[in-house]
Amino acid sequence: MMETDSPMVKISNIHKVFPPDIHVLCGIDLAVKKGETVAILGASGSGKSTLLRCINFLEEPTAGTVEVDGIVIEAGENDKLRTTRIRDIRKRTGMCFQAFNLFPHMTVLENIIEGPVTVLHQKKEAATAYAEQLLQWIGLSEKRDEHPSRLSGGQQQRVAIARSLAMKPKVMLFDEPTSALDPELVGEVVEVMERLAKEGMTIIAVTHELHFARDVADRILIMDNGNWVEQGPPEKIFNNPEQERTRQFLAHIL
Amino acid sequence: MKADTNISEGSGIPAEARKILTRIKTDRTVYKRKLVISFIVLAIAMVTVLIVLKLDFKFMKDQLPFIFAGMGYTLFVSFMAISLACFLAVVGALGRLSKNPVFNSIASTYVSLIRGTPLLVQVYMWYLALPQIGKALEGYGLTGIQAYFTLPALTAGILALGVCYGAYMTETVRAGIQSIDPGQTEAANALGMTRTQTMKRIIFPQALRVIIPPVSNEFIAMVKDSSLVSLMGVWELSYRAIKMGRRHFQSLEMLITVALIYWMMCIMLQYFQEKLETHMARGDRSIR
Repeated sequence: MMETDSPMVKISNIHKVFPPDIHVLCGIDLAVKKGETVAILGASGSGKSTLLRCINFLEEPTAGTVEVDGIVIEAGENDKLRTTRIRDIRKRTGMCFQAFNLFPHMTVLENIIEGPVTVLHQKKEAATAYAEQLLQWIGLSEKRDEHPSRLSGGQQQRVAIARSLAMKPKVMLFDEPTSALDPELVGEVVEVMERLAKEGMTIIAVTHELHFARDVADRILIMDNGNWVEQGPPEKIFNNPEQERTRQFLAHIL
Repeated sequence: MKADTNISEGSGIPAEARKILTRIKTDRTVYKRKLVISFIVLAIAMVTVLIVLKLDFKFMKDQLPFIFAGMGYTLFVSFMAISLACFLAVVGALGRLSKNPVFNSIASTYVSLIRGTPLLVQVYMWYLALPQIGKALEGYGLTGIQAYFTLPALTAGILALGVCYGAYMTETVRAGIQSIDPGQTEAANALGMTRTQTMKRIIFPQALRVIIPPVSNEFIAMVKDSSLVSLMGVWELSYRAIKMGRRHFQSLEMLITVALIYWMMCIMLQYFQEKLETHMARGDRSIR
């Protein structure tokens, strides 16, 4: 696994307040190295999804700094190039949603090439060739011309991963990617995520999937009420947690 | 209808179940048959009423070509006006959803003003009141501008209908856009799309499916409201029918004739609407 010292993602002192006064994130710091796989765990409503969405500015942080692949954006700053810089971060950041959010009016292939063609202005042929490689990689070549509604949840999520990967992102963000799936479909999605981690992708995943957290992640962070409770390698968190809150939480999901 | 009584045997479905399936199918056939009979009885009743009223059918037949000649105007006005309305509706909807205060307030005022005033008043406003505005402007030294404010009847009619229906359809389009799952916008944003790209590539194509039925509905309504241009002396369907009816004191015949023509046109448009909806829905089972 490739690791360098400068972090791929670095967020400093992020606050998020939903009006009027719901303080969801209370000064969060997080640095993720290139090639590192990080799993964020926490009770629902603890702010982990909001944190993830602050990284690619689907949620605007109320205060703090976000840095992705060297692009730095301060919360609340207001210059002309900001929108462009946010888009630059988004181009380098793949995101998978709990509800997949595939485009229902497009086929699987069209979904995957949409980003490269529309956003990166790639030639359709080149984008299609790469999309076909990705389809093979997720094992869904034969679904190329189907519409998403004809796919199972697990297949849809794998296509959503391919759609993000088509942008050749530097970081992948997963927002509870398996929570909406039937139990027997979780495995196929986690398997794809695991291969992605092994190939050196930088991954930040909000997930309760135990196999991923314990065996795939390099580091686990536990969040509660908008603060970090504890972080460390999976063995330590699962076998020897320091905080009582971590123990309580793990008791619920184990 | 062979399949009705012929649920395939040997498919592992027990005999009792097959009996029930057959009965359900038979019931459905019987219902359909009764429905057709009801429609036929209704049609006969309507024709009987026409005969009892001692309508002059020969007169109706003789006048038919004259009335039909107005169909071109009716269709032309309707198509031009719906095109204008669609354009205004898209711009209006984007305005209503815009975070730009100027754009938003203009769109909201447009919808409120137009929906809040009678179409009849609007038609006269375009035709009769606009020249007066032109005159007033000339008073401020804009010589020659009045000519542009004096509209031919057909233009005034198209503008009145288009602007009016555009206001109603603005709300239809806005609702269609808002009906699309916010997750779609998020997914597009996460890919790095601009607002325009998201709207054009992701939201609009999906919203289109939602708004086709109500827009077709508006169009059918507009074909009938196009008769309002007769107020300005455009020789379209209803103008011709009313004129002929008055001249020969046979308004009943003429009005029934023109009503039937409108009805037939709307039945045809409804048929095309259904075709279009089927076409738009192809390729996937449901819109998530």
